[in-house]
Amino acid sequence: MSRRAVSRRLRAVGVILVTVLLSLDVAGCTTAALTMPGCTALERLGLIAQSVPSAGYIPCLAQLPTGWRSSDLTVENGRTRVRLSSDRAPGHPVAVELRASCDVGSATPFPPRTPGGRSYLLLGSIDPRYSGTMFDVFPGGCVTYRFDFERGPHIALMADLQSAVGFVARRQLRLDLRRRLGVELGP
Amino acid sequence: MGTVAGEGPRPAPPVIAPVVSRGPVGRRRRPSGEAPPLPRHAAASTRWYLAAIAATVALEVCLAIRPLRRWITDADDLVSRPVTGLRAGFLTPALRGLEYLGSVNTVRVLVWTTIAILLVTRRFRHLLTYLAVLLLVISASSMLAVGLGRMRPTSVRMLGFWDGYSHPSAPVTVLAAVSVGAIYTLIPTGRWRNRAKWLAAAAVGLLAFCRLYLDVDHPTDVLAALGLGWATSVIAYRLAIPDDVFAIRYRRGRTAHLDVSGRRGEAIIGALDQQLAIRVEAVEPFGLEGSAGSTPLRIRIRRAGGTPATLFAKLYAVNHLRADRSYKLTRMVLYGRLEDEKPFSTVRRLAEYEDHMLRLLRDAGLPTPEPYGFVEITPEREYVIAMSFFEQAHEITAGPLEDDQLDEALHIVRQLWQAGVAHRDIKPSNLLVAGGHVKLIDVAFATVRPTPWRQAVDLANMMLTLALVAGPERVYRRAITIFAPEDVAEAFAACRGITIPTQLRSRLRRDSPELVNTFRRLAPDRPPVAIQLWSVRRVLVAMSVLLAALAGLSAVYFYAQVAGLL
Repeated sequence: MSRRAVSRRLRAVGVILVTVLLSLDVAGCTTAALTMPGCTALERLGLIAQSVPSAGYIPCLAQLPTGWRSSDLTVENGRTRVRLSSDRAPGHPVAVELRASCDVGSATPFPPRTPGGRSYLLLGSIDPRYSGTMFDVFPGGCVTYRFDFERGPHIALMADLQSAVGFVARRQLRLDLRRRLGVELGP
Repeated sequence: MGTVAGEGPRPAPPVIAPVVSRGPVGRRRRPSGEAPPLPRHAAASTRWYLAAIAATVALEVCLAIRPLRRWITDADDLVSRPVTGLRAGFLTPALRGLEYLGSVNTVRVLVWTTIAILLVTRRFRHLLTYLAVLLLVISASSMLAVGLGRMRPTSVRMLGFWDGYSHPSAPVTVLAAVSVGAIYTLIPTGRWRNRAKWLAAAAVGLLAFCRLYLDVDHPTDVLAALGLGWATSVIAYRLAIPDDVFAIRYRRGRTAHLDVSGRRGEAIIGALDQQLAIRVEAVEPFGLEGSAGSTPLRIRIRRAGGTPATLFAKLYAVNHLRADRSYKLTRMVLYGRLEDEKPFSTVRRLAEYEDHMLRLLRDAGLPTPEPYGFVEITPEREYVIAMSFFEQAHEITAGPLEDDQLDEALHIVRQLWQAGVAHRDIKPSNLLVAGGHVKLIDVAFATVRPTPWRQAVDLANMMLTLALVAGPERVYRRAITIFAPEDVAEAFAACRGITIPTQLRSRLRRDSPELVNTFRRLAPDRPPVAIQLWSVRRVLVAMSVLLAALAGLSAVYFYAQVAGLL
């Protein structure tokens, strides 16, 4: 193949690539791919663990119920945020956030979801919408879930939410990362 | 007495010089023979950048393979350790401050400044390339980050701010890409660009060092970021807006004109000598203000007897071909197909077409320049077409015109009609008076077998040009001795703003805004010819252009949001 032909092909490939990327970006695929990692995605969980080094448990996607999706994962030093959306609550995604600590205020406790931890529910409204914040508090960390559901399907949605988000113990994650990837996760 | 055949010494066979062969030196492959006068030039650094891109791709592949990734992480830790070992009380705050080199605000300032300058200087090709390259690099970086999902370094405590997956280093990628973009779209080639490169390299290098020192990136994250943000961007700009074709200039003048000094000038001289046996003494730009479709040149030559002479030439290059395409596309979207709006497929076709038209019009007896043929400078990229130069000539509107000269000019249109050709660009700068006779130049837009509408437009433009000097009544009086009054009426019925070349239109606007209406009053009454022509093709093309523009704008808006530029 001549140099000119190579150059032409390179340009054609470039044009196709840019077009594909433009389409992907327009469709929002680039950011949509930033989803909450599953509970077996070790290195991705490791990054979340790095964002809050004190957290004894790392939230992960245990089982995403039908009609739900996660998006807009932001992991930075100090916190991790993600959105969980259901097609039964359009326009009202649940904002999930992991931090080192949180103020539960006058929230009502309910059966804990992590060993050694505590879970709380703080309702802002019951009718006409069921909205408020759920807390999972554990040593060195806290996960908050800000929800705003339509009254009616809210019971099923709350159940879905609790089953969607699971936890991996930092100690277990550290062991797995060391054994399988040779990575030494911090304290 | 003659010798008998077969007896006595035979005469030595004449020496025939080789034409297409050369010594078997080096690797032989097509095209064999001499290299073109101006071979495609690729900077030596291009190879290094391509090697860097290949290395980056290899690194990404290795990182996707778990055992190799483990080794790479171990190697990263080994390299990081001495850097983080430099941590000292006074150095850490300073480097944390320098980390802002890669902050969103720094990038915002760089990007918006670049976009603003490109908009103000109307360098839209550079702007589009800049946006496309940034989009490509940022999207590729995001996809790699999500695809590989790499953790941050774990060897020592991280000190700086970080966000998202570690590989490739997003701040280094983005700073490198916006810096290279600014350099390759704003700064002319030469000393200033080289200085800017060093400055940008220092800034990017400093940021990379900060990230390693603060242990928020692995060394391979930084290397991949440089491969993606710097090397890929450089190659993309060199491919899309090569400096020798789309040179950046800030002095006044059309950007379509190429620099004919240096290697290109030498190549033109060599090509004219070798391909057309024309001994060139000097090549210089000529009449640049009147031409946008090529780079016009005046060529000083020496004829066989040693007498000096002058030729006119035009340099055609890829940018002229692209300008022709976009011009025709725009016209088609705005007005429908006026005439033959099929763009030329290659630069060679442009030169071939003009050479053909020069010969055709000469054979038809029109007072056009004598064709000398065309030469290849860089295959399929640059060609020079040569023709005779009208010495002591001046633009037709530069002085008063005799009746004979008016008749000559009008006869040119008559001859064009008889030859079945339309010039399609009749305007003051294409009509010269040399030795008291009217000459017609620049036949590049001419077309054979035009529609009667286009032939009528030629007549209208000729009469308007002449009327700038001789007045409409006098020109009309002379015209109806050569053309039927109905033809003149048809010419001005077809005449619209779009049918009048830009130079003539601006002269009319400035000197005689009522000229077209005056001619319409003088000629027999004729209903105007509608200019808009609708077709399925026009609608489809217009919709495609609109959709492409919307998609481009949406993509730019979206990515600007994602990248935090809005």
